[in-house]
Amino acid sequence: MATLAERRQETQTYTRSRRAFPWKTIFTIVILGFGAVLMIAPFMWIINAAFGDTSEVYVLPPKWIPLNPTLDNFDSVFEQVPYAGFMLNSFKLAVIVTVGQLITCSMAAFAFARLNFPGKNILFLVLISALMIPGQVTLVPLFILMRQLGFYNTHTALILPALINPFGVFLLRQYFLTIPSELEDAARVDGANVFTIYWRIILPLAGPVLTTLAILTFVSMWNSYFLPLIMINKPELQVLTVGLTLLQGQYGAGALGPVAAALAMAIVPVLIIFLLLQKYIIQSIVSTGIKG
Amino acid sequence: MAQNVLNRNVLSYRVMKRRETFAAYGFILPTLVGFLLFVLGPMLASFVLSMYDWNLLTPPVFVGLGNWQQLFADARIGGVYLTTAKLSLMVVTCNMTLGLGLAVLLDRKMPYLLRNFFRISYFFPYVVSGVAVSLIWTFLFNRDLGPLNYYLSQLGLSARTNWLNSSQFSPLAIVIADVWKNVGFYVLVFLGGMQAISRDYYEAAEVDGASGWQQFRKITLPLLSPTILFLLVISVIGALQIFEQPQILTNGGPGDATRTVVLYIYEQGFRFFDMGYAATIALSLFVIILILTIIQFRLSRRWVFYQ
Repeated sequence: MATLAERRQETQTYTRSRRAFPWKTIFTIVILGFGAVLMIAPFMWIINAAFGDTSEVYVLPPKWIPLNPTLDNFDSVFEQVPYAGFMLNSFKLAVIVTVGQLITCSMAAFAFARLNFPGKNILFLVLISALMIPGQVTLVPLFILMRQLGFYNTHTALILPALINPFGVFLLRQYFLTIPSELEDAARVDGANVFTIYWRIILPLAGPVLTTLAILTFVSMWNSYFLPLIMINKPELQVLTVGLTLLQGQYGAGALGPVAAALAMAIVPVLIIFLLLQKYIIQSIVSTGIKG
Repeated sequence: MAQNVLNRNVLSYRVMKRRETFAAYGFILPTLVGFLLFVLGPMLASFVLSMYDWNLLTPPVFVGLGNWQQLFADARIGGVYLTTAKLSLMVVTCNMTLGLGLAVLLDRKMPYLLRNFFRISYFFPYVVSGVAVSLIWTFLFNRDLGPLNYYLSQLGLSARTNWLNSSQFSPLAIVIADVWKNVGFYVLVFLGGMQAISRDYYEAAEVDGASGWQQFRKITLPLLSPTILFLLVISVIGALQIFEQPQILTNGGPGDATRTVVLYIYEQGFRFFDMGYAATIALSLFVIILILTIIQFRLSRRWVFYQ
């Protein structure tokens, strides 16, 4: 019988002579390309609609590049709704919640990963089980709670519940567990207390995972819809997601231009952040697959 | 004595332990307080609330199991759950199969930049808000002026499909919008799972003369099964809760054709202000999700392969 090495060499020679034309690769790229076009086309169509004047929009066959670009639609957006206010509100909330979550989650994750205290394991399990509760169960009581506390129609109602994130605690804890304890031991020998270890050793080393959490939290807050929908109905306090639906409500089914302009303005910041940080974002999702 | 010298500058073990415990509780305090106030509290309150009739204007009225009786007698709830089940089934199936297929294609040898371009284009809709996605598709689905119907007619298919207001096509519209937005996530997670599979397995199979399809069935799928389970569980949980797409695209219509459970909860709680009933429906959804998740994990022992 031929040895494994001989058989392997035989296969290699065989495939080497067959690698004449990469049919499979071309076929693959064509299909993937077609899919990518389907993914990108709607965005291009909307951006075209945003810059087109009324005669160019909703035209068949669909146009993809505006021939007479105009900014009229953008003007209409700001005339109809306090759009700048919407964006500012979303930004303010996203920043506050992201910073807040980084602090609370890293503190809790540090305690669960590096400290010992009675009830540690049970508390962690309870916290993680919160991830399984669908949001709607807590939503109605949360709404009533905020009303009773007088926080209805304030940004506080949106910030407070978002400051804790069991998933964030879980994510950070898993990462902190991989930091070698020798560093911590050395610090303790030098007299460092718990807070110093947290602030000077663990945090600086956790850069990548903190960045990942920050990105996930920011995007999640920027895109949140249900909570602002039920907690806020003053337009000057409203966030971008709900604001977009308000704009569309003003126009009904007809006017594509202004709504497209509003959408374009809402999506472009996300696009820029995404393109700049896509390495981080994609890597963290991919590594979920590696571990899972 | 040696004992005294040792104990002078060093704290006793007990004191150190107590300090560490104290510090630890301090560190988890914000999260713990938040958890009690905004997760556990509301969760328990939900149970209590479901036993009252309350519209926020008048004081709450105790009705015991009245809301639950109303739930089982509700003519619409059966249809709502059925609609949600149909939509979830379609969404989960499409996301999982398309995600896996595209990931397999993406895993092939190709220039790094090209793969990167594909990953970015497939994943970008995922980071855009569901509201923006739904609004975009509202225009694309427009019956007379939308590009979708136009291109469909170019291909020879009917050009008058009423995507947003027909009980036949509106569910499809929601599935299309949802899959378009989310499939990128599945692609990336599957890609990650596949990258973790050692190439040695494939090489050995190649030497033994296995075809690509056989390699997929006997190597890729079994080794991907933990990833598949993970995605299946979270995708079912997510699909049963869709809200933004049905609300913005069709607002549950026509009639109740696309009214998902969460849409129904929103209507009962924040349009009709029947807080007790809304809480009850939410609890029923929670129970169903819990049962389905447990079933999935139980069944998983048969087909998931851990190494």
